Amino acid sequence: MKISNLIKTHCILAALVAFSACGNDDNSGPIVEAPSKYVVMTMSDNTLAKPGYVTAFDELPSGDVSNVTTNTLQGQGMGGWRPQQNMLLKMFRTQDNALGIERLNVSTNGVITPGNFISADNSTNGSGNFVIGTDGNGFYWDGADPLKIQKFSAATLSRTGELDLTDVVNERGTNEAGILYRSIGQKFLAIKEGKLYANITYATTNGTQKGFFDDFYPNVYIAVIDVATGNYEKTIEIEDTGSIAYINDNNMYDFDSNGDLYIVCQGRSAVGGKSKIVRIKAGETDVDASWSINMDEIQEGGKFVTVYANEGKLITTIPNTALTGGPTGNINFSEIWEFYSIDVATQARTKIAGVPAVTNPGAAFATVEIDDLVLLRVNAPTQNINGYYSLSGTTATPVFNVTEGGSVSGIYKITLE
Amino acid sequence: MLKKHILYLLLFCIGTTVHAQSQDLAKLTILVIDKTNAPAPHVTIELDNGQKTLRQVTDERGKVLFESITSGDYIITTQMLGHEQSKTPIHLNGGDQKEVTITLLQNSKQLNEVTVEGKTDKQQVSENAIRAVVVDTRAASQEATTLSELLNRSVGIRIRQTGGLGAPPDISLNGFQGRSIRFFKDGIPVDYLRDGYNLSNIPLNSLDRVEIYKGVLPASLGSDALGGAINFVSHQSKRPQLEASYELGSFNTHRATLNGIYSPNNGKWYAGLESFYNYSDNDYWAQVEVPDPETRNPYPDRVRLFHNGYKSYYAEGFFGFSNRTWADDLKISLAAFEINREVQHPALMTDPYGAIRSKQSSIVPTLRYKKAFLDGRLQIDQFLVYNTVNLGRTDTLQGRYDWYGNYTATPGNIGESRQPSLSSIDFDNFTARTNMRYELGQRHRLHFNYVLTDVGRKGSDPYGPVIVSTGQDVLQFPASYLKQVFGLAYESEWLEGRLSNTLMAKHYRYRSRGIDAWTASNVDIDNEKHQTGNYWGLAEAIKYQLNTASFIRLSAELANRLPEQDELFGNGEWIVPNFELRPEESLNLNLGYRLERQNGFSLEANTFYRNTKGLILLIPVQAPYAQYGNQDNVRGYGFDVEITYPFWRHFAFNANATWQDLRLFGITNSQDAWKNDARLRNTPYAFANAGLSASFNNLFQKGDAFKAYTFYNYVREFYLETIPKRSEPGGFLGLNGSAQINSSLIIPTQHNVNLGINYSPASLPLSASFEVKNLGDANLYDNFRVQRASRSFHLKIIYSLNKT
Repeated sequence: MKISNLIKTHCILAALVAFSACGNDDNSGPIVEAPSKYVVMTMSDNTLAKPGYVTAFDELPSGDVSNVTTNTLQGQGMGGWRPQQNMLLKMFRTQDNALGIERLNVSTNGVITPGNFISADNSTNGSGNFVIGTDGNGFYWDGADPLKIQKFSAATLSRTGELDLTDVVNERGTNEAGILYRSIGQKFLAIKEGKLYANITYATTNGTQKGFFDDFYPNVYIAVIDVATGNYEKTIEIEDTGSIAYINDNNMYDFDSNGDLYIVCQGRSAVGGKSKIVRIKAGETDVDASWSINMDEIQEGGKFVTVYANEGKLITTIPNTALTGGPTGNINFSEIWEFYSIDVATQARTKIAGVPAVTNPGAAFATVEIDDLVLLRVNAPTQNINGYYSLSGTTATPVFNVTEGGSVSGIYKITLE
Repeated sequence: MLKKHILYLLLFCIGTTVHAQSQDLAKLTILVIDKTNAPAPHVTIELDNGQKTLRQVTDERGKVLFESITSGDYIITTQMLGHEQSKTPIHLNGGDQKEVTITLLQNSKQLNEVTVEGKTDKQQVSENAIRAVVVDTRAASQEATTLSELLNRSVGIRIRQTGGLGAPPDISLNGFQGRSIRFFKDGIPVDYLRDGYNLSNIPLNSLDRVEIYKGVLPASLGSDALGGAINFVSHQSKRPQLEASYELGSFNTHRATLNGIYSPNNGKWYAGLESFYNYSDNDYWAQVEVPDPETRNPYPDRVRLFHNGYKSYYAEGFFGFSNRTWADDLKISLAAFEINREVQHPALMTDPYGAIRSKQSSIVPTLRYKKAFLDGRLQIDQFLVYNTVNLGRTDTLQGRYDWYGNYTATPGNIGESRQPSLSSIDFDNFTARTNMRYELGQRHRLHFNYVLTDVGRKGSDPYGPVIVSTGQDVLQFPASYLKQVFGLAYESEWLEGRLSNTLMAKHYRYRSRGIDAWTASNVDIDNEKHQTGNYWGLAEAIKYQLNTASFIRLSAELANRLPEQDELFGNGEWIVPNFELRPEESLNLNLGYRLERQNGFSLEANTFYRNTKGLILLIPVQAPYAQYGNQDNVRGYGFDVEITYPFWRHFAFNANATWQDLRLFGITNSQDAWKNDARLRNTPYAFANAGLSASFNNLFQKGDAFKAYTFYNYVREFYLETIPKRSEPGGFLGLNGSAQINSSLIIPTQHNVNLGINYSPASLPLSASFEVKNLGDANLYDNFRVQRASRSFHLKIIYSLNKT
């Protein structure tokens, strides 16, 4: 996730507005850069409600830091977040872990408070999955209307309308008895070059896990919709995989600096199998059939859970052993996930040096860019490491380590307005 | 090694005590009966030769046994509340083994003119070396009060409820919660009744008292409780009586009881009924957040709950024989219960449900046999039950409700909750409890207790998880759990009864069988797994009577709480097995002082220390699955104090306060080490009660009784999740202000006031009471974001054919 360019643009625009407001008689002083905050989230207990803390720092933390200060916000749903542009957004409400879209506000003195909230169906995972366009208008999915995509304003954080895509979903499978649940946009929503991309779910279950690791078809289907008109254009496919993206704050896709969109598919089951990273190139609206990275060719029984793209390189994690699920499985809390840099052109993989194997990044973004630094989330409790490393080339060095507040879930820089 | 030490210690105690018995002394058995020839229990008997006075209390068979008595002339004095004191002379020679029968005569004087020397059951239990808080439900039964509310007035106890009548309660004792606390009915573990008989649905009229044990449990309560137990004691008297009660309250609340027993004058048999019925719409007003239908932004509103009803009944008919040569008491019972519950919302009040329901039901035959042998020195109490409890949950609606009760169809989207269900699960239960008491001497007793619990589970849920490889319903794989708890205790009195001592050892064994069944696993019935374990516990309790009005007591216990069947094998749905679970272990120390004066003033102060390792908590493993695991270690201390002060003849004031400081320790993981010394999350740490009552007799007519009362309850705010110690509220005992963080996870401070009156006319066998609950109509929370009932009004009538 890259935020420095967005924030720079935001600051420049703010400065231009401030400058243009000055009259001729104004004795212009130096342009004061809008203050920024570096916000860190941690999860204090590994329970279903994901309790934790969020703290705003004036500078990028360094060394050992506490994430519990007098300005800290304590709440639930702190397993990760989905900041976009200059907004701290998350899919789980702070006060009760309810599904939807919530904004966290940061005051100039660093106090964080929960802000507006869009409520979505709490009984269906994926409710609140959202994306925001550059114009501040966004789209989200609500399990209460699984065949529609909801529209919302990021400025007011309120629903503004909906797109009924029932016919799009029903283009296939209407006579298949094995399909028990259908939805559109439940796991993957992305906006690229004026088009909204929304995954179509055809699921074999209709219970607690409906829509997740229960694909009916071997291919993943994505509807392409024109953002400006809301018109459906076509459905594209990712062949022979499953479970595109996921249900939580980690959207599991990223744009390279050239506009190429890279998408994670976790595979046929929670513990992988046919997991891959695919792309839609800049200027294209179809999946690049000639390019993919297949986990089965790297680590049998593994899967991708994160991707960061920048200047032709992908940063991701690869398990160093086959994944196992269930009560004694290694998938979540064993330190088996290793950071790799993958060259997009050659697909050559380079293990990032200086970083131990980590726990599953889960809802957190494993890689985030702040102040031109590429930061890796490193959570390795057995190594007494719980913080962020800075990546330079293919080597990473520690930046800060969180000693109080729980496992790190994310860091993001915002400019105060 | 520990096992050997405990066995040696017990053998030593027994051996030395038996050796102390003299062979040339007299033995005297006294049987006390009432005018109906029924045995009279709990009568104080004094045996006095002018130089020394021996004192005992008759047992349930009306008997006492004096042993090792030197020869000479004695006076036997009987004392019993409401009865004439009698004095009977007797001469005893060495080697005599005499038996004397004494008949109690009713006292014609007013009760308040009698000097009471005998102690009631309640007094005896509360003054044992093992501390028990005895809640006199009989005395409060005229009030339109629930059992949970009554217990909440007691010191050191906090009952947390998630709603109105019938809402699942969670009790906190000395910071122990959930399964660390065990429940009993007349000394028998009540697990076989599941929710059919618990704090939330038993009316006060169905009980004689409730005994609350904090820390050490007596050997007769055979269970693996970690930090306490609650024993519901039903009416024990076999005198003919009939009582009915009916309560009408706000939210369409109806509660009724019908209890009765009949026995002939010779007391050779008896038959009776114990039954109660509860119904409430529980449609109280609650503060919720309602999403705007267009913007989907939630706004606060106070709405009336619409799918929160509760209905239950429990009926137990019994028949028995007593005072036979082959049985002192043989009781055969057949009980039935059914619970139907509407589910209004998930764990937090985030979403309204309009159709989810759950139910429980069972038919429960039981048998209880009591018999004394060896001239009453050996008493045996045997209990047996076999029953099947059926649990069901229905969530199949294809639609959604909003908080105003409006319905919108969502075809194809099954279930309102995250867990659509049409489950039916049978729990087969067999419980056997054997209790033996052997009198080693006048002041020395041995208790042996054995409880066997065997539970099997099998069920189905077409919407539940299935084994991926076979498509089989996970619930169809049976699971079973066998638990045995052995207890052996040695009770003794020294220094002419001023010093009481109880030394106790417990042995716990369990065996569990089942399938490592969760949906993604590849298993079949042949992959059955076994898990076994056996553990030891040790307890010591000592009480010293400082003078006639006060005593101190000290107890210590090494306790284990075994993992339960569903903790080991999951629930067959979304809680998956964990075969690595260890028991929770705890070292508990208690020290207390009690002062009780003749004028009714009493003061009790207690403190405790606990060190608990491996608390079993539910944690997520891989969405949507969760699993029980040994998590937190907790240690800390606490104290509570309670006073009762009668004044101006008609008035009484009582108050109690509890404070506890329970903190996590032993966290070595660097990521979580900051939690060391943090307060145990989601646990009330400071709470208090105060009550004021005024009682008047002969107010409107001669012989009537009127009482007005009010109770205030306070709970200090506490935090749902862990916060570092340095961020906690400051001030004396942390009672000032809020935490040094901006927390969204606070269970706020609550103040609750109830107000009521009772009236019993002399001319009718009736009493009536009226009570207002939550007088201030406050938004009360026992649990995070789950509101309790708003203000309500309750009227209760009791008809008693024979007042007892």
